[in-house]
Amino acid sequence: MQAVVDEVFRALSDPTRRAIFEHLAREGEQSVRALTDRAGVSQPTVSKHLGVLKQARLVRDRPEGRQTYYRADRDGLAPLIDWMKHYAAFWAEHIDRLERLLEKME
Amino acid sequence: MTPPADGTERSQAESLSFDWDLPHPPEKVWRALTDPALLAEWLLPVAGLELEPGAAFSFEAPAQPGWDGVVKCRVLEVEEPRRLRYAWVVGDMELDTVVAFTLTPVASGTRLSLVHSGFRPDQKRNLGGARYGWTMMGGRLAEVLAGIS
Repeated sequence: MQAVVDEVFRALSDPTRRAIFEHLAREGEQSVRALTDRAGVSQPTVSKHLGVLKQARLVRDRPEGRQTYYRADRDGLAPLIDWMKHYAAFWAEHIDRLERLLEKME
Repeated sequence: MTPPADGTERSQAESLSFDWDLPHPPEKVWRALTDPALLAEWLLPVAGLELEPGAAFSFEAPAQPGWDGVVKCRVLEVEEPRRLRYAWVVGDMELDTVVAFTLTPVASGTRLSLVHSGFRPDQKRNLGGARYGWTMMGGRLAEVLAGIS
């Protein structure tokens, strides 16, 4: 679990990669060429970023003819959401304590 | 407070929000949120808290492997007894978030809203945040999660 979270964080820690992921999440499937035109960096760079996102299971690819198409896999964010649940649990526990404290206060 | 200006859209998985109805007046809840002795009882021991926008303070939990236990904070907004917002930063390379409490008077007492935002992974914060999340909750996680279903 920890390794998966690290991988998602590593993949999303780069602003260009994050922009590619968010673009795919918003716009749906895109070809590498379309992503390259938009990203303002070279195609090998875009492909490398897509490779990292794919490794982290944040995107899925589909080859068609000479092009490869990518789409965001929202389930890939699950480790991040799980991680945030730690904080949800943290606050739930501490607000319980706050409620008990308020009972004792004047 | 301006969001980080890196041009990307904020992701959906970025903030936590909660509401609780507390059978106590806002003034009393406000005291619990701002009095260091009371904060130590329900949240964490606090050092240097001054309710002035821009003032830095810290929460200091016992040190644990992988985390020195310190949460660095900075007051962003104070509107007694309605709203308190502060930065919640864990280490230089870890978590840079904001905690906002809003107290709304209701017939039964106070509705306490808490929004903890800014959970976006960012440059420099790649690995530490996850490690910290796991460390902070320790072994009680499963139990606590079960409790809130």
